[in-house]
Amino acid sequence: MEFIVDFLTRLLMQFQTPTLAFLIGGMLIAAVGSNLKIPNAVYQFIVFFLLMKIGLKGGIEIREANFNEMFLPALFSIIVGISIVIAGTLVFSLLSSVKREDGIATAGLFGAVSASSLAAAMVLLEEESIHFEAWVPALYPFMDIPALILAIVLANLHRQRQEGSGKKEIKVWPIVKDSLQGSALSALLLGIVLGLFAKPESILHSFYEPMFRGFLSVLMLVMGMEAYARLAELRRVAHWFAVYAFFAPIIHGLFAFGLGYLAHVWVGFSAGGVILFSVIAASNSDISGPPTLRAGIPSANPSSYIGSSTSIGTPVAIVICIPLFIALGQQVFSV
Amino acid sequence: MTLYSAIKVVIITEKMIAKGICNIIEQEGASGYTIMAAGGKGSHGVRNISDRAAVIDDFSDVRIEVIVTDKERAKSIMKKVAEAYFNEYAGITYLDEVEVLRLSKF
Repeated sequence: MEFIVDFLTRLLMQFQTPTLAFLIGGMLIAAVGSNLKIPNAVYQFIVFFLLMKIGLKGGIEIREANFNEMFLPALFSIIVGISIVIAGTLVFSLLSSVKREDGIATAGLFGAVSASSLAAAMVLLEEESIHFEAWVPALYPFMDIPALILAIVLANLHRQRQEGSGKKEIKVWPIVKDSLQGSALSALLLGIVLGLFAKPESILHSFYEPMFRGFLSVLMLVMGMEAYARLAELRRVAHWFAVYAFFAPIIHGLFAFGLGYLAHVWVGFSAGGVILFSVIAASNSDISGPPTLRAGIPSANPSSYIGSSTSIGTPVAIVICIPLFIALGQQVFSV
Repeated sequence: MTLYSAIKVVIITEKMIAKGICNIIEQEGASGYTIMAAGGKGSHGVRNISDRAAVIDDFSDVRIEVIVTDKERAKSIMKKVAEAYFNEYAGITYLDEVEVLRLSKF
């Protein structure tokens, strides 16, 4: 009972943080039909900026990190990414009203990772002064890429079975390449490399760190506006997508929290690391995942998976999951 | 000034597959093409061309124009594009009779 009261108070307090307030503000302003526009170029730049900062910081810290510590969380990331796609595919296959490819693509997107949720979680953890290893964001591709690959492979296998056509080989490398070349992951990986091999501390402290939260608030506004705009699309597809999009992030995050707890016990994964890992699992790709899926599973209806992810999945991951896992982490690890 | 008749093929489709369509156009022996941002309304709903931030830029639309000198080649481009993509992606294609100035450009 105390936990629930504690969680609800925390949730209310989180709504006042700029991160969540701007997200909700974006939805409101779109709902009242405002003409406020954030130019696309600004949005693209912000995504680059945020991931570059996360990458630089991660890269600098990986220099001193112990690789044994990182191995288990990286392995768990792959397991979570794959499990989410398998579980989601099974759930959707039980629903006769859902086209199989749509279900697989949606599960793939929810297994993949959202850069905006990740950045929001990092800021909220810093505000609560909960420490996490700076390399945790680098777990992103370990969860993201296997999930997208598995979804595309499953959808193609399903299609071949249906058409009864001979086995066509599914090329995995182009999917990996496509993911790595996406704007979000490219910026993150470049940042990590620069952090590892160059000495970018001065620009990190003078430019990237001071502006991080401000730019994040603009990104949250865009995500909020986009979430509302895509709701109309989601209304046109089966309602099961909305139900899945609401519950899946919470369940995925809890599953990852359990695995993260094991890593905490076995290799000393920090409490903040477990929380961030859970948010990465709860998040669903909104920037780079959809084009990869559209190219890999062209027969799936994009309205189903983008609507689920952008208009319900991402807001749930940010507004509910981040406070939930911070509260849970504080209870479990007493930080 | 002499004008020569030629055929213009217009393809309005998703930005993601523009690259593949341009490959088909080049394979068919056309010497060039023009791509521009497109938007409007069709069976897939309304597509914007505003500069408002879209989380997924690749899902916007483009209009590809290619001018060729004979109708058979134009039809072949249309047929190949439709077969390769239009079962799964949004798109329309039509042709237009046009007059060009320097025939050697096409």
